[in-house]
Amino acid sequence: MPITSAPYRVSVTVKAQTDSIARCAEFVLAYATAAGLSRARLPEMELVIEEVLVNICRHAYSDAPGEVEIRCVRADSEHLFVEFIDSGKPFNILASPAPDLNVDVNERQVGGLGIPLICAMMDEISYCREGDRNILRFTARLPR
Amino acid sequence: MECKARVIANVVLLQVDGRIDHTTAQAFESALAPHLAGCTGEDKKLLLDCGGLVYISSAGLRVLMIAGKQCRKQNGKMVVAALQPMIQEIFQISRFDKVFEVFPTVRAALENISPAAASAYEDP
Repeated sequence: MPITSAPYRVSVTVKAQTDSIARCAEFVLAYATAAGLSRARLPEMELVIEEVLVNICRHAYSDAPGEVEIRCVRADSEHLFVEFIDSGKPFNILASPAPDLNVDVNERQVGGLGIPLICAMMDEISYCREGDRNILRFTARLPR
Repeated sequence: MECKARVIANVVLLQVDGRIDHTTAQAFESALAPHLAGCTGEDKKLLLDCGGLVYISSAGLRVLMIAGKQCRKQNGKMVVAALQPMIQEIFQISRFDKVFEVFPTVRAALENISPAAASAYEDP
C-alpha cells in the first residue's frame, strides 16, 4: 500500500439538508486528497456530494427530516469508496429515470441532470437497501 | 457567483465568475433574467463568458436550460464561451453543447454572432 496520510476509514454524520453540503464536501475532499485522488478529480467528487445530498433530501427524506452518514474508505491501494448512508424511504438513485439528452432543446426536460452527471463522474456506483437504510457507494480509482 | 454585464454593439457580454451551485443558482437566475428579456433576433444577443466559472452543478444547468428554452422561443441567440475543462466535461455529459453553441474564446464567439461587436471588442 502506498504511503498516505489517510486513515483506513473516516465518517461524518450530518443533517440531511442542503446546508450540510459544504461541510460534507470539505470533509470528503480532505480525505480524498490525503488518500491520493488526483487534484483534477476533486471537483468531480464535489459535484457528486452536492447531487447525492440534494437527491437524498428530496427523495429519501421527502416526508420527514433525517440524517446522512458519509463514510470514506480507502478500500485498497487503488480504490477509494465514498458511501452515503441514510435511514429514509427506500430510494435507489440509480433506478431514477434518466432524461433523454439527445432530443431537441424544445423537447428537453428541465432538470434531472444530477444523476447522469454523477454516473459519468465516478468509476463505479452501487446501491443496496440494508434493513431500514439506503447505502449508496461511489468508487473512485486512485492513481497508481 | 458574480455576474458582470457590458454591452458591446448588439451583444450583452455577461461575465460569470465563481460557482453556480444549489446555493447560488437562484442568484444566477435573477442576474440572467434582465438580459434574457429582449434577447431576440439581431437586436440583442447574449454571450456568457464562462472563463471565471469554476463549478456548476445540476442546479445551475437547470437555470441555463430554462434560459436556452426561453431564447429559442423568442428567436433569440444565446451562446457561451471560454469554458474551463471541468465545465466543458459537464456540458458534454449533459449534452449542453447541443443546447448552446460553445466557443473557445469570447473573441471567437463575437466574430461568429456579431462582426460589429467583434471589431469593437478589446481583448483583456
